[in-house]
Amino acid sequence: MKRNDASVFNYLLLIPGVGFIVLFIGSSIFITITQSFGLLSVSGKSQFTFENWRQLFHDKESLDSILFSLKMGLLSSIGTLIFSFPVALFLRKGGAGKRFLASLIKIPLFVPALVAAFLIINLISYHGIINEVLVALGFIKKPLRMLNDKFGWGVVAIQVWKNLPFVLLILSSSLASIRDDTVDAARNLGAGSWAVLFHIYIPLAMPGILVSMILMFIKAFGDFAITSVAGPTYPPSIALRMRNTATLFQEWDKAAVLGVVIILTTIVITWLYARLAEFVTGRH
Amino acid sequence: MSRLVLRNLTKRFESIAAVDHVSLEVEEGEFVTLLGPSGCGKTTTLRTIAGFYQPDEGEIWFNDRLMNNIPPAKRNTAMCFQSYALFPHMNVWDNIAFGLKMRRIPPAEQKRRVAQVLEMMSLAGMEKRMPGQLSGGQQQRVALARAIVTQPDILLFDEPLSNLDAKLRVQVRVEIREMQKRLGITSIYVTHDQDEALAISDRIVVMNQGHIEQVGDPQTIYLHPSTSFVAGFIGLANILSGRVISRQGRRIQLETSFGNLWADAGDRTMEAGDSVRFSFRPENMTRWHEGAPNRIEGTILHAIFMGDVIDLFVDVKGTRLRAHAESTARYRSGDTAVFSIDEAAFQFLE
Repeated sequence: MKRNDASVFNYLLLIPGVGFIVLFIGSSIFITITQSFGLLSVSGKSQFTFENWRQLFHDKESLDSILFSLKMGLLSSIGTLIFSFPVALFLRKGGAGKRFLASLIKIPLFVPALVAAFLIINLISYHGIINEVLVALGFIKKPLRMLNDKFGWGVVAIQVWKNLPFVLLILSSSLASIRDDTVDAARNLGAGSWAVLFHIYIPLAMPGILVSMILMFIKAFGDFAITSVAGPTYPPSIALRMRNTATLFQEWDKAAVLGVVIILTTIVITWLYARLAEFVTGRH
Repeated sequence: MSRLVLRNLTKRFESIAAVDHVSLEVEEGEFVTLLGPSGCGKTTTLRTIAGFYQPDEGEIWFNDRLMNNIPPAKRNTAMCFQSYALFPHMNVWDNIAFGLKMRRIPPAEQKRRVAQVLEMMSLAGMEKRMPGQLSGGQQQRVALARAIVTQPDILLFDEPLSNLDAKLRVQVRVEIREMQKRLGITSIYVTHDQDEALAISDRIVVMNQGHIEQVGDPQTIYLHPSTSFVAGFIGLANILSGRVISRQGRRIQLETSFGNLWADAGDRTMEAGDSVRFSFRPENMTRWHEGAPNRIEGTILHAIFMGDVIDLFVDVKGTRLRAHAESTARYRSGDTAVFSIDEAAFQFLE
């Protein structure tokens, strides 16, 4: 009897967390999906229809914003990886300044994304610090357009800066789990630094690499704040486009379609990466 | 195959010398064991030979090549690690072929050599398994196969058997020795297990606190330890001190806390009045019989039946000695017993 009481109590512990997820997130996902098919409509007659989905494929701005967000997600995750992997390797091996660097690199964790965006704007805007210095030193004649550039490099730069410590934490723990003996064995068998990198560090850190890339992709793909400050004037990110559709144009059903696109893309990408992880770690 | 020479090798961590002016010559094809307690510098010596550590002083020579500044990848040594250090993301075949790949051996040749060592190590049929799917003994054999397939100049063993159970350990050490003899590869073997060292080595290097205590073949090390550390570390020993009171040719008479003894001094220069440290093994202190030398009477403190012998702790005038008796004898604590110490059993220590 006592045991049962205890297990009932254990389940009660779930109510705040799981209850919240089911009630608010679960139901809003449900509403989003049904609205995209014209049901539970807030702006008109409720009626099941594929019309909203059909229109999506003819709406150039929405398609452009989906492509733009995919591009930002991909480039931000690759960029963050390229910038953080060497640092994670350095931190694994150690050396002078290791502890200082480890704490320095965590600073972006404590800066909110929007604040980070404004900080970096000061650096890379048309009359920002970098442009002024480069012009003053005579490297370039006229300032470069790095902010609100058409391609979105400004967004990628801020995403990378903001998420570097986060990815670094994941990669560092992945690399830390590689035994020194394993690395020594490779060196002993004739592997130079590059061979150790490609045959030992990268394959053994691959689960961490993939996890950090998934998380980075999802963050950058669904980004609202950074693109709205530093992104190009056209196209908007998919989240921005969704906000505009809903609140500016009052077309909630079409916004719901974009919401479902974000959710689906996230699920598909996560699934793809998971398959990829199984493949590269040989556990398929 | 290489001849290995260490000259005044020194490696410091912070300011502590883990290896302190160690000099050693190992002949081509020789099997030499570095033996000592943890922290004696044996593993540091091995890792410096492999190139994982840069020596602070001294020289490492393979034949006539100075190796100090050669990176580990270019030394053509092969190491067997205590943890085996197999690559967890590669199957058995890829683990073994790794060293050949790094040396850019043509694929056909790789295939031939990997197949050959798989056969030799009784691993045929396991090439597709991942390290995690192998038993400890099988992982050990893969590690050995991976080491020898590269035809290294020097094989380095870092306590390779310490993760195996006792029976397998004895079996594998015989296999290692047979394989090494067959291939004739110069080998340096690190262990803290004296039985293993005695069983496997051409020569043993006993190390303590970063320096070499004694180098010799297993019999010399066991029968004629030259320092009290070696006498105490290898096997059981009574380590004592006394004073020479007279000398008659090779024989000397010693005055000790538990009586006067006659000992064979060999050709050591010792004169009346010298203070000496000496040792003898429990198996050289046995039950006295008529005509036996060095009669000692003592009280049995503990008698421990070990199967092949009875291990005795004996109090002789306040000094505790270890003695052995044949396993059929009967002793009880508190008994008085008479022993004899073989004159030739005395080892004089530095």
